[in-house]
Amino acid sequence: MMSSPIPIGSMIPLTGPSAADGAEFRKGVILASEEINANGGLLGRPIKPFFADTGRQSAEEVVAAARLLIERRDVHAIVNGYNIGPQNSEYEPIADAGILYIHANTLLQHHDTVMSDPERYFGCFMTDPADYWYGPGFLKFISWLRDSGQWKPPSNRIAIVSGSNPYSIVIAQAMASSAASFGWKVCFGPEIVQTPTTEWRAALEAVRASEPAVIANTHFYSGDLASFQIQFMEQPTNSLVYLQYGAMHQSFSDIAQRKGVGVLVSTVIGLLRDEIGRSFASRYIARFGEGSTPQIGCQSYTALHHYALAASYAGGSAGPGGFEQNRRVAKALKTVIYRGVSGTIRFDETWQAATPYPVVTQDPSLGLPHLFFQIRPDLKQLALIAPEPFNTDRFVLPPWMTPV
Amino acid sequence: MAARDVAENGDAELIRTIFSGFDSLSDGVAIWRPDATLLFANRAFRRSFDFDLPADTPYADFVERVVASHEWRLPGSPEGWAAAKIDRFGEVCDETYATADGRVVRSVMAPTDDGGASLTLSDVTAGERREAELRAARDKAEATDEAKSRFLRAANHDLRQPLAALKIMLFNCRAETDAETRDELLHGMDVTTSVMEDLLGALLQIGQLDAGRIKPRVSTFQLSHLFERMDIQLRHQAKEKGLRFRIVGTRATITSDRLLLERILNNLVANAIRYTDLGGVVIGCRRRGDMLRIDVVDTGRGVAPDDQARIFDEFYRAADDRRLEKSGLGLGLSIVSRLASLLHHRVELSSKPKVGSRFSVYVPLGNVWHSQVVETEVNEAVAGEFVGAPILFVEDDDVLRSSMGQLLDRWGVDQRSAASADEAMRFLEAGFRPRLILADYSIRTTTGIDVIESVRRVIGAEIPACIITADAEPKVLERVRSAGVPLLVKPVSPPRLRVMMHHLLFEQSRG
Repeated sequence: MMSSPIPIGSMIPLTGPSAADGAEFRKGVILASEEINANGGLLGRPIKPFFADTGRQSAEEVVAAARLLIERRDVHAIVNGYNIGPQNSEYEPIADAGILYIHANTLLQHHDTVMSDPERYFGCFMTDPADYWYGPGFLKFISWLRDSGQWKPPSNRIAIVSGSNPYSIVIAQAMASSAASFGWKVCFGPEIVQTPTTEWRAALEAVRASEPAVIANTHFYSGDLASFQIQFMEQPTNSLVYLQYGAMHQSFSDIAQRKGVGVLVSTVIGLLRDEIGRSFASRYIARFGEGSTPQIGCQSYTALHHYALAASYAGGSAGPGGFEQNRRVAKALKTVIYRGVSGTIRFDETWQAATPYPVVTQDPSLGLPHLFFQIRPDLKQLALIAPEPFNTDRFVLPPWMTPV
Repeated sequence: MAARDVAENGDAELIRTIFSGFDSLSDGVAIWRPDATLLFANRAFRRSFDFDLPADTPYADFVERVVASHEWRLPGSPEGWAAAKIDRFGEVCDETYATADGRVVRSVMAPTDDGGASLTLSDVTAGERREAELRAARDKAEATDEAKSRFLRAANHDLRQPLAALKIMLFNCRAETDAETRDELLHGMDVTTSVMEDLLGALLQIGQLDAGRIKPRVSTFQLSHLFERMDIQLRHQAKEKGLRFRIVGTRATITSDRLLLERILNNLVANAIRYTDLGGVVIGCRRRGDMLRIDVVDTGRGVAPDDQARIFDEFYRAADDRRLEKSGLGLGLSIVSRLASLLHHRVELSSKPKVGSRFSVYVPLGNVWHSQVVETEVNEAVAGEFVGAPILFVEDDDVLRSSMGQLLDRWGVDQRSAASADEAMRFLEAGFRPRLILADYSIRTTTGIDVIESVRRVIGAEIPACIITADAEPKVLERVRSAGVPLLVKPVSPPRLRVMMHHLLFEQSRG
């Protein structure tokens, strides 16, 4: 018989605008806990997850969720998907308690906060690469399309539109600052549009006037992006269209329908389509039903497995106040390179964030692949077109474009 | 007892013992009778050839079989060699042959007392190889020694020239009373010492290269990064000489050692500027198969055909260019040639005297996915959402102002920290235009609200602002609220400040 359970917290938007993603993060934690427990738990102790709703993901809500999990549940770690609003304010109660925290917030601020006081934030880890990497990663991707002859750009002009949240702004600025290195010229933007919004026509008019070969929108709400694409299609130009993360969601295609076919989208943490990824997806769907989305649930699922492995390696976990043991777990997290269903999580020693492939490491066995997809006419499965060796499809020219 | 005595005594067993002793030798031994037929060949001798050697084989047959086997690399024609060998049977002969399988065999023929001959074969491969290596090492050392002597003679010569000039200028300077002339002399001395400095620096580089201390670190990167750096370093040099200077943009991904390639190109461009008096210098590149050719083209003096092969030697300068001038040291191309050979990059020169030159370096093209995007750490100071945002911060407490300034710097903010309203105004007078004002409530004799209003008045725009205060008195809160300015209460945590700044900078218009 197993001994007393280890409480693990998870701060998840179970209500509010991100509730759909929140539900998947919850499923990911549940499936990982069940698998870990079926294999004997963490050094013989089962994992018991506790969930706290972060609602609209404001700083107040997320900090309150962290406090609740620490004070009421004595959690040894908090393992999440992402919360977009707290701007790292949740790091404070977590650092005070000295527990582990693994999230997929995809924020450059994580680097800044951890490096500002590595002793204090020893337990804070980001299981995916920072938003910043979307910028140079995207530039490499379109340069690869160009250099490999898959697409002949009519010019080197690129237009960048951003949403008003920090994530979108950082990505847009990173794109703009990397463009010239790869032979691209920013002909418009980065233009920051107040979001959420479904009205993009003014921005699109200015974009069209700049005659871009590529249009990138770094906002990430799927509904807003669908509006952008529908309004772009009112008068399409001979340009590739890249829409940030949100266009991966089924809800994007539900709204944009066939007008979204050909759109490019990417994620720095996604589900691979290899044997490991497919096996996970079928277990996930078998457990939670056809309507569930393993492509999102994989984030918290991977993070919890990685934590359990590292804590076992460190000789066990500890609750609030257990600084000494939790420092060992943090050290083990940096040591234990974990090949999960999304690829390899290898925490950078300084940033305590996953290293991206191929933008930082050129070794696919040492980085989390930045995956590029294209929406196809069946609107169900996106085509995974880069990077090698993970791609399973090839880029095709979007229907609104004319071959050169 | 001599072998012949043994044979005459017919002591067959002793003979067998002796022959079996011969078989244990690692060298091949064969004994031929006076009539040139084979008396005995030991095991090692027989194994040296892939043909049989029965007793009584005539020496002439043996020689012809050696020729036919093609086992030995024979000097001259095989027929001639065979004829000479047969003709000189029994004469002393000591030779070495390379064999088809890469060994070296020493063959020694010596006459026996009875008019026959012995032939011994020894494998001297290891010894020969060592000797060849030693010979090569000696030749190289002699060549290096010679090069070094030539190098030092030339260095000595080139170092003496500025030194002599320096002495003269120093002497003149002491006696000079006219300030202007004195300044000119001092400037000349300055230039001369920097010539010597450059020379010593170049000598050090060559020394390190020759000692094998510089190891290339090859990576894949965007050439445009390197071009940008070159532009910054070299543009003003060209401008000073009144030359046009242009770097044609590139999107190429290449595989090389970033720093060493930069040194090669910098040397080529510096050289081009040095030897161009009219016109300009252009840097650009072209694809050539799976290579990229980087060209440095100038409209300079050009290189005469006779000089083209020698300009990569140390201190070599063409005949019409032996006068001392700043930077005319003749070491740049020598460094280029050494670095290029270290990196296996081909360097090509195409030139016409009085028309100009094109120096080209061939580098392998790389895969854009493998391109190294950043050299330094990525943090908010280089890529955060607040990078470059102009923000005015007013706080009269020195400690708080300094720590907040550090935080804003860490986020890449273009901040100005003022201790007073007057200081804030001075930033505005100097042309600073903030997009956001962060102000303490009580600033010496005035309030943050007053400072915000003054700044807005001077600039003529409702710049977003925020008051930061430790004073939670209702009167203060009311004043701030009525001014319509948001408030943060001290101590302010970085996340709260970040949320507020983000809101004011990027979300304000939504209200």
